[in-house]
Amino acid sequence: MSVKGKAPSRPTTLSEAWALRWPERHLLTICALAISLGFMMVLGSGYAEGQPFKVMDLAPFAIYGACLAVMHITLVAARFHGDQILLSSLAFLAGFGLLAQYRMGTLDLSDPTSASLYLFPGSIALMLAVCLALMRGRYERLKDGLWIWAGLSLLLVAALLALGQRYRGGVYGAGLITPTEFLKVTVVLFLASFVDRNAKPLANWGKGFPRPPLKALLPLGVFWAGLTALLLLQRDLGMFVILSVTLLVMLLVGTQRLGYMVLGGLAATAAGYLMLSLFSHGQRRIQAWLMPFEDPTGNSWQILQGLTGMYSGGLWGEGFGEGNPEYTPIAQSDFIYSVIGEELGFVGCTLIVIFFLIFFSRGLGIADQTRSNFGRLVCIGLTTVLATQTFLNLGGVTKFIPLTGITLPFISHGGSSLVTSFISLGLLLAISEGPAKTQGAGTRKKTATRPESGDTKQKRPASKKKPTAKAKAE
Amino acid sequence: MTLPLDPSLWSAVRLVLHVAFFLAVFFLLKELVGLRDLARLRNLPKPKGRFRVAFVLLTLLFGGLLIYQATWQLTGVYRPEFISFMQLHDRRGFNPAHRIQRGRILDRKGEALAYTRERNGQVERIYPDGPIFAPVVGYTQPRFGATGMEAVASVHLNGGEPTSLDDWGELGRQIVAGDKRPKGKDLVLTLDAELQRLAIERLGDNRGAVVLLSPQDGAVRVLASQPAYDPNHIDSALFLKRGPSAPLLNRATQGLYPPGSTFKIAVAAMAIEQGFQGTLDCPAEGFTTSSAYRRIRDHEYYSARQHGEVWRGYGRIGLAKAFSKSSNVFFAQLGAGYGHDTFYAMTDRMLLNRNITLHETPYGRFSLRTGELARIADSDKYGLAQLSIGQGRILVTPAYMALLAASVANQGIAVRPRLIDAASSAPLGRFMSAATARQLASMMRSVVTEGTARGINDPRLAISGKTGTAENPQGDPHSWFVGFAPAERPQLAVAVLVEQGGYGSAVAAPIARDLLIRAQEMGLIR
Repeated sequence: MSVKGKAPSRPTTLSEAWALRWPERHLLTICALAISLGFMMVLGSGYAEGQPFKVMDLAPFAIYGACLAVMHITLVAARFHGDQILLSSLAFLAGFGLLAQYRMGTLDLSDPTSASLYLFPGSIALMLAVCLALMRGRYERLKDGLWIWAGLSLLLVAALLALGQRYRGGVYGAGLITPTEFLKVTVVLFLASFVDRNAKPLANWGKGFPRPPLKALLPLGVFWAGLTALLLLQRDLGMFVILSVTLLVMLLVGTQRLGYMVLGGLAATAAGYLMLSLFSHGQRRIQAWLMPFEDPTGNSWQILQGLTGMYSGGLWGEGFGEGNPEYTPIAQSDFIYSVIGEELGFVGCTLIVIFFLIFFSRGLGIADQTRSNFGRLVCIGLTTVLATQTFLNLGGVTKFIPLTGITLPFISHGGSSLVTSFISLGLLLAISEGPAKTQGAGTRKKTATRPESGDTKQKRPASKKKPTAKAKAE
Repeated sequence: MTLPLDPSLWSAVRLVLHVAFFLAVFFLLKELVGLRDLARLRNLPKPKGRFRVAFVLLTLLFGGLLIYQATWQLTGVYRPEFISFMQLHDRRGFNPAHRIQRGRILDRKGEALAYTRERNGQVERIYPDGPIFAPVVGYTQPRFGATGMEAVASVHLNGGEPTSLDDWGELGRQIVAGDKRPKGKDLVLTLDAELQRLAIERLGDNRGAVVLLSPQDGAVRVLASQPAYDPNHIDSALFLKRGPSAPLLNRATQGLYPPGSTFKIAVAAMAIEQGFQGTLDCPAEGFTTSSAYRRIRDHEYYSARQHGEVWRGYGRIGLAKAFSKSSNVFFAQLGAGYGHDTFYAMTDRMLLNRNITLHETPYGRFSLRTGELARIADSDKYGLAQLSIGQGRILVTPAYMALLAASVANQGIAVRPRLIDAASSAPLGRFMSAATARQLASMMRSVVTEGTARGINDPRLAISGKTGTAENPQGDPHSWFVGFAPAERPQLAVAVLVEQGGYGSAVAAPIARDLLIRAQEMGLIR
């Protein structure tokens, strides 16, 4: 078996990188194809209703295609050798989100200065910037910023409290910006740094009867109390749940102590009771969840309208652009999933969930393969944040769990949420590249000469030629 | 600039795009999985599978979510409240809930008592007989919900209750094909439309109830209540009407009335079970437990006095004669003599103070109340004497009295009444021994041949029964007739109640006779 002609795992030349990233190119092409079909559906249903054709109608798809191309070329040019599946599954989800936003009319095309038009390319650019800045193991430096991340987190919430607007029992940022969204990154970075630095004392639960290491936990506890207080002051229950789950998972992964989960479970029960008795809008949501038909035109109106849309869609859906999602309040952000259910049916919903699961499996996979403790913790943290957010959103919309008012990552309308998700992705990609070259050289040689990977190598040269030819033809 | 896009052409193009989109996404998925190995991260250490459990948990969590979602999205017909909500509040023209071909409700011969019609893209429910079947069928209306069988069997009627393989196939086909006019299933009741109409006709303008059922299998043939409401026109005013003429009250199953003399059936059964053989003195001056209370007298005393005559009383009579003449004095003494414990043991065995379910689903139940009997103090002898003639602190429903008559007709065993033709019959309990039932049956026959109900003795059909004229605080006495036919091999049991109708023998008994004879003509009695 020859290793010649096969892309090395660490490309040094452009052509090697081009060859290495063939799967990504291939998958992104199919992605673009699928999304273009979706665009045709949305556009066509508009024309069928008598809308005039405008060249700008094609802009979203052009933007999407261009973004994919730029993203791929940038990664090849940077000789990036990180995960490709993660990026491809995300490209589909993000494209789908763009499609859904376009369909909901939240992408304003008539105004070239509209921020929403630049949000998607901007997010991709930001993701690439984060990835390139932190790849080759440079992400390790983030852990030195331990208290910077903590301060930044508290500052973000405090800023929102000071500047935000109160609306229906919650605090919202002005315009597109919800600063607290960025907590999903800063808090993860803080936790990863903290747990990485204090892994030993945190794992020491004493001999005999297990008790948590209170002394080691103290700084974390102080920070967390402050964060919780600020979050609850602005009634951001969803964010609080996401961050708390992340805290527990990261403590568990970082210390291998199941006791943190037990403690967390107890704390969650207590916090749940406390919050229900403190917040009236929390009680209303529980009521709407348990007894949706008690007050169908009031409290439960939104959730029932969402479910109605899904029931109308059935298994296959009414067709993209054919439904009436405008009957569901705030469909473009929190309830985007019910729009998917209405227009693409249960099958469409299942596909979205599968893509999310692939995305999460890659997040966990990268964590599994990352040797650096800090890198692994960041991976796990970011994946947990996104998985919890996805579950809270889908569960709320389908009435599986009470509604928390959380957006769906990559798909919902919401600038800060989208930007944050892409920054998380950039971080994950950077970590998937592994440590700096000098450190990894030994590992690479070992893997390259591993005999059991031979069968996969045999396949590769055959499958490689076709794609390169195809790529050149393009 | 407009794109020439014919709407008719678009629907075909749309379908193609829809399918193509799914195929493209499936292909992407396939490639993602296929290239997983090729795109492996070879620059990192080999995977150890540390987070495999976490991923499995995550998959289970989202899988559970999808399954739960399917119970709304795909099998929403299982949720009647959800369907009603959509029919009322959803403006999506393509929502199948607006065009569910809800099953019909049929009588035992297949006559439609309720059916669905589509008009202006919305379905509406039609009840051809208006109020006649409302006490059983109920109504279904998005704004006001549903009652009666429309509510209880709602899921079945909407097609969400597959029982056979074919049903499952049909449900699956509707889901896969994205059927925009899902078809429900018919519901066949045991009711006989013709007899029920006759019952309502014979009740006329009176308030009252008629129940006719088969003693052996519990099939309810008539369950009429008057006045009722028209289920074709439900409005909020209907729910405000209260008081004695409340149209929403199902008098047959929920209306509580003093049973009067008809309750002597139960007391006679108790006495026979206790081995009563002798006679009791029944003087004209009546019976009381204490001089402080009004004397309980026989009807003959009052009617004689009305005509300025003097009645000398029955003297010493046995149970059979007292039963056929409906002697209050006799039964008051009889009941008071056996005491409270014996009395309450009997009423407990005969299921008073209960609810009996006729049909039940997770979405509701159709049940009948048996009656309301207060537990009076052991020292209250007079109260017990009153209870023994069906007055005082005892109230029963007409459906219960029909059940009591049916138990006599069925050798002492009461069978659970049922309204669904396909439901199997189940025994409810033994009200009395077979020997007691036989003796009681012959006593009830004598009531018609020589007793208070001799006015309805008809050569065409041997009817057995018991009349009742129940005093009540509202005014004129309620008129009762409870019985069965034919006397020798009973096939139908009946209870007729006419509110403030006067004498049982004069008002209720003829209605019962007419119904039973019509049933015989129709072949329900052979």
